[in-house]
Amino acid sequence: MARVLAVRDLSIGYGGEALLEEIAFDVQRGEVFAILGGSGSGKSTLLRTLIGLQPPLQGRVHFTGIGPPERAMTPPRFGVVFQSAALFGSSTLLQNVLLPLQKWTDLPPDAATAVAMGRLRLVGLERFAHHLPSEVSGGMKKRCGIARALALDPPILFLDEPSAGLDPITSADLDRLILTLARRLAVTIVLVTHELPSILHTADQCILLDSRARGVIARGAPRELAERSTDVRVQAFFQRREAGHA
Amino acid sequence: MDPSFTLTREPAADGRLRLRLQGSLTLRDGARLWRDLAAACAGYAEVEVDLAAVERLDGGAAALLAGSALRQGERGGRIVWVGATGDTAKLLDLYDCGPGAPCERTEPRQPGLLADIGTFAIAAVDTTRQILAFVGDLVTGVLLAVRRPRSVHTADLGVLLERAGTDGMPIVLLINFLVGAILGLQGAIQLHRFGGDPFLANLVGLSVVRELGPLMTAILVTGRSGAAYAAELGTMTVNEEIDALRTLGQDPQRFLVFPRVVTLLLVLPVLTLVGDLVGSFGGLVIAMVYLDQPAVVYLQSFQQAVSFGDVGTGLLKSVAFAIAIGLIACQRGLATRGGAVGVGRATTSAVVVVLFSLVALDAAFTWVFSLLDW
Repeated sequence: MARVLAVRDLSIGYGGEALLEEIAFDVQRGEVFAILGGSGSGKSTLLRTLIGLQPPLQGRVHFTGIGPPERAMTPPRFGVVFQSAALFGSSTLLQNVLLPLQKWTDLPPDAATAVAMGRLRLVGLERFAHHLPSEVSGGMKKRCGIARALALDPPILFLDEPSAGLDPITSADLDRLILTLARRLAVTIVLVTHELPSILHTADQCILLDSRARGVIARGAPRELAERSTDVRVQAFFQRREAGHA
Repeated sequence: MDPSFTLTREPAADGRLRLRLQGSLTLRDGARLWRDLAAACAGYAEVEVDLAAVERLDGGAAALLAGSALRQGERGGRIVWVGATGDTAKLLDLYDCGPGAPCERTEPRQPGLLADIGTFAIAAVDTTRQILAFVGDLVTGVLLAVRRPRSVHTADLGVLLERAGTDGMPIVLLINFLVGAILGLQGAIQLHRFGGDPFLANLVGLSVVRELGPLMTAILVTGRSGAAYAAELGTMTVNEEIDALRTLGQDPQRFLVFPRVVTLLLVLPVLTLVGDLVGSFGGLVIAMVYLDQPAVVYLQSFQQAVSFGDVGTGLLKSVAFAIAIGLIACQRGLATRGGAVGVGRATTSAVVVVLFSLVALDAAFTWVFSLLDW
């Protein structure tokens, strides 16, 4: 597999104070990569740095083999699904998905609509295309967020806490959708989560962040880490207890 | 540059159109793919498209192929995809348009006129219900507050008074001064023609103290504090902070509404009084500058024309205005639905409804005062 994302010597934080230091990892094409950690471990901050919303204190994030570096006039090279889905409330689900197509492609309106409807069909929302975000459920908003992020066929999709606030069935549906995207659309997926069932079901590789260690304390396949790691902090995370009680 | 894909016609003997797609099909060339397929399929009912030579198909192009098949179906025809293998077949399948898949459109639910009317009627009933519930909560809250005054949340009162009162003072001073001056100038021009210069103080004094001072000040407070209350409470509602308050056993009326209404009850009469003063001062400046009238003459006329009763009627209006602004803005805020758009809508609605109410109340007060000869 080819590497699509390389993170080297990355330090992130706020106001000059490092929250995480010397972060380094690779993400391979087509894999589902999870960034794990407890609340306050810096997962979402790391994600914001990866997608360029927050500058790192030190180090670099390299996207390799997925087109030229991003400029103001080039379409984004990755899709992002925010924790709250971040759909535009005044636009219907269809209009939300159409937005990047209208901005970055020369498709005629009916073709752009056909692509957007296809994306909504992919996530099971075709019937709700003309609904406003306020008229659909949380899980549907997340799925629409995925459809919008996928609109331009990005090779990498970043998802921030995709299962947050969803019931187990909806969450499992979303996991299945994520796996479908990764396996059948060959999209590389980087997701931030602390939902154990979701991690074990979907992720091929992961890193585990720890706020006390200010960095990565484990990396590998989640199931292997869960079963074989001897690190008490890793065991604590996968067994859902405090590290001090190990 | 070589085209990334080619679309060729294959000879067919059975009346069907046979097309062959070859190369790389991506969203980047989506517009050409969409147009070429439409042009090639036009006039044919049955079209067979051979995808065996497609080297690459991305999700966007797959959606376009599916869309093309749906478009052909709407024209009474059909596109049959043949020869797709591997990833191409899987992707088409993902869009329910692979070989053997129905490739049918699930029509989105789109409300018609009747549904729109129904939705509007339900919304109207819902709004009425919300207002009635708000009034009911208000009455209950007032009774509880009277019985237990300490249950009213007063910790924010200082900050609210500062924001609505002290922070609002400069704009109230400026606008009321300008209104007094404009009224004075217009009045002076007309009165001077008929030798009525001494009556300028009567015109400005009574107009400002009885009508314009209270009304302009209330309008300014609506724009500043009323809009802020609606937006603040609206944001709290969509962020579930109001629900959180309820689960903590706090009544939103006593925790949020009462302090804001009390703030306006304290602030608006004071601002109105100050507005009356600077508005009258605006008239004085015009009398001195435009009519060369000594200040003492204007002030003597003012003293004779404007009584404490006139000031009292203005203050009485300001009390009613304060209650209207506070209650309507808070009610609109608490009734917010639907995220950022809802907050914007609630704020607009609050300002519009309050402004209408202020004018209606002012008219009602003026009519009642004229009947009572006040």
